[in-house]
Amino acid sequence: MTPLVPKVLRIALCLALGMAVSGCYVLRTSSGGAEADFSPPRHVDAADIALPAGYRAEAVVTGLTFPTGIAFDDDGVLYLLESGYSYGEVWTEPRLLRLDPGSGELQQVMGGGRTGPWTGVSFFEGDFYVTVADVLHRGKILKIGPDGSLDVLLDGIPSMGDHHVNGPVVGPDGFLYFGIGTVTNSGVIGEDNLQMGWLQRHPHLHDVPGEDIRLRDRTFETPTVEGNKTSPNGGTGAFSPAGTAAGEDQVIPGAVLATGSIIRLPTGGGEPELVAWGLRNPFGLAFAPDGALYATDNGYDDRGSRAVWGAADHLWRVETGTWYGWPDFSGERPLTDPQFKPPGKPQPQFLLARHPNVPPAPAAIFPVHSSANGFDFSTHSSFGHVGQAFVAQFGDLAPNVAKVMAPVGFKVARVDVETGDVEDFAVNRGTRNGPASLVGGGGLERPVAARFDPAGQFLYVVDFGVLTIRGEHMMPRPRSGVVWRIWRDQP
Amino acid sequence: MNAIKLLRPKLLFGLLLAASLVAACGTARRSEPIAGPLPLTEPELAAGRQVFLQRCHQCHPGGEGGLGPGLNDKPLPDFLIRLQVRKGLGVMPAFSEEQISSTELNDLLRYMRHLRRHPADDAPAGS
Repeated sequence: MTPLVPKVLRIALCLALGMAVSGCYVLRTSSGGAEADFSPPRHVDAADIALPAGYRAEAVVTGLTFPTGIAFDDDGVLYLLESGYSYGEVWTEPRLLRLDPGSGELQQVMGGGRTGPWTGVSFFEGDFYVTVADVLHRGKILKIGPDGSLDVLLDGIPSMGDHHVNGPVVGPDGFLYFGIGTVTNSGVIGEDNLQMGWLQRHPHLHDVPGEDIRLRDRTFETPTVEGNKTSPNGGTGAFSPAGTAAGEDQVIPGAVLATGSIIRLPTGGGEPELVAWGLRNPFGLAFAPDGALYATDNGYDDRGSRAVWGAADHLWRVETGTWYGWPDFSGERPLTDPQFKPPGKPQPQFLLARHPNVPPAPAAIFPVHSSANGFDFSTHSSFGHVGQAFVAQFGDLAPNVAKVMAPVGFKVARVDVETGDVEDFAVNRGTRNGPASLVGGGGLERPVAARFDPAGQFLYVVDFGVLTIRGEHMMPRPRSGVVWRIWRDQP
Repeated sequence: MNAIKLLRPKLLFGLLLAASLVAACGTARRSEPIAGPLPLTEPELAAGRQVFLQRCHQCHPGGEGGLGPGLNDKPLPDFLIRLQVRKGLGVMPAFSEEQISSTELNDLLRYMRHLRRHPADDAPAGS
């Protein structure tokens, strides 16, 4: 009997070693940043934000409800955007607000009723350009004058699904560039879309490619919607409505307003043009000092009928006419690589019979589920790191997007786009990373946009506020949004 | 004799468990705002950082926890890290020679040790 004991101990030792090395991913429960207990009001204290030596931060505006965007007019006056909608199916009124430089009061320039989310704003030659997802109807691009005049530059954007229309920015060519996120996680309508809330509203919505594509024969088991109820129904194909199967060699027609795309539009109005596609959720767009367009792109989640595990977020240098890999690649890597197989779920297989091109290498790779969103480039030596990008990372939505072993994101990262080097720039203090609602203190919650003032001396960070998850229910907290300002006071 | 034979594995197990617990008590945070800039004084360290950013950062951001566990607070010996990189373990994928060459793996291990020891005593802290 005695020889058995050492053998048992050896097995236990091997198991302990394995657990220590692997971190026991499968056995552990998720530990994301949204899984916090929170009781309002939000405590705000810039001293709880850690920055590189010589930099300082302060809160400029507090008490905002779901802020998403920031812009400056020709006089350097600050304008803010409140979304009017948040994941979790919470509606308020979207608003464009002006921060009066004299009184410090917020004045409403434009309200949007129930057309949220308003996801981003840019100012160009006297007007504001706002991306309006309007998840109840269809997405739009609004042109708003400082006096409150309104012009709908573009209507009919398919932005009512998982991801929205985002990131308006005017390029050196004078065109307005914006991104359209995909309807789904990875090309197929699934039960996750019911949980998001939009499939009941838009039962026929589906992804649209940027050019005609031919599908492989892949059918997924997906519930369909009848009225407002769900019923099991086998057979939903890629780029197809829920409950509609797709056969082998089926051709899905492309469109200019593709999902997972970047579009450009004359600022005076006119025909939209497809710039690039095959992205997933191109949230942030910005032009580098050399005139090149870059875009952040949120990677796949471990959810739905075609779950993908371990897919990073990316920063792309956007080349016109290029396909960036969605729904079959993550960065340069095919989803058929075993690294993307979710534990206990099938290995993703290709959906497209032929890929338009080999996806290019990303300019930078961000952590899985960090939600790399709005960003801007430093252009002034007084702030430093000229030519580098400062990227707001909204932070994970675990466990809805996947299980994580520690909070991911909830910070501002600095990126050298020439080398792909990514370094933290603004994080919360403490022994672990995460939003202030989880780790304590009055620092960052969910940075969603970052933009320099016109002089390039101050980096403004839009912090969406507290968003927690209980079970699968997302709970965004109104009046918890903040705008932070960061500057360097010592060279 | 039997008692000694029994004791050794128990002792080893206990030591390993204690080491894991002690290691898990430390923080994995090493990024510039927390620990000051990480000096990359040798080309191998810079090369190792590039491998880390391409292959490791996405699941272990800056060596902290994320999708995967933190690395900076786990003083695993090089041979175990090599083994895990080449063979994979649990949900972590294996990386072939084609994906991470032997030279790159050496640079990566050197960088990870350097990062784990950061900050050096004379490094400026973040504000």
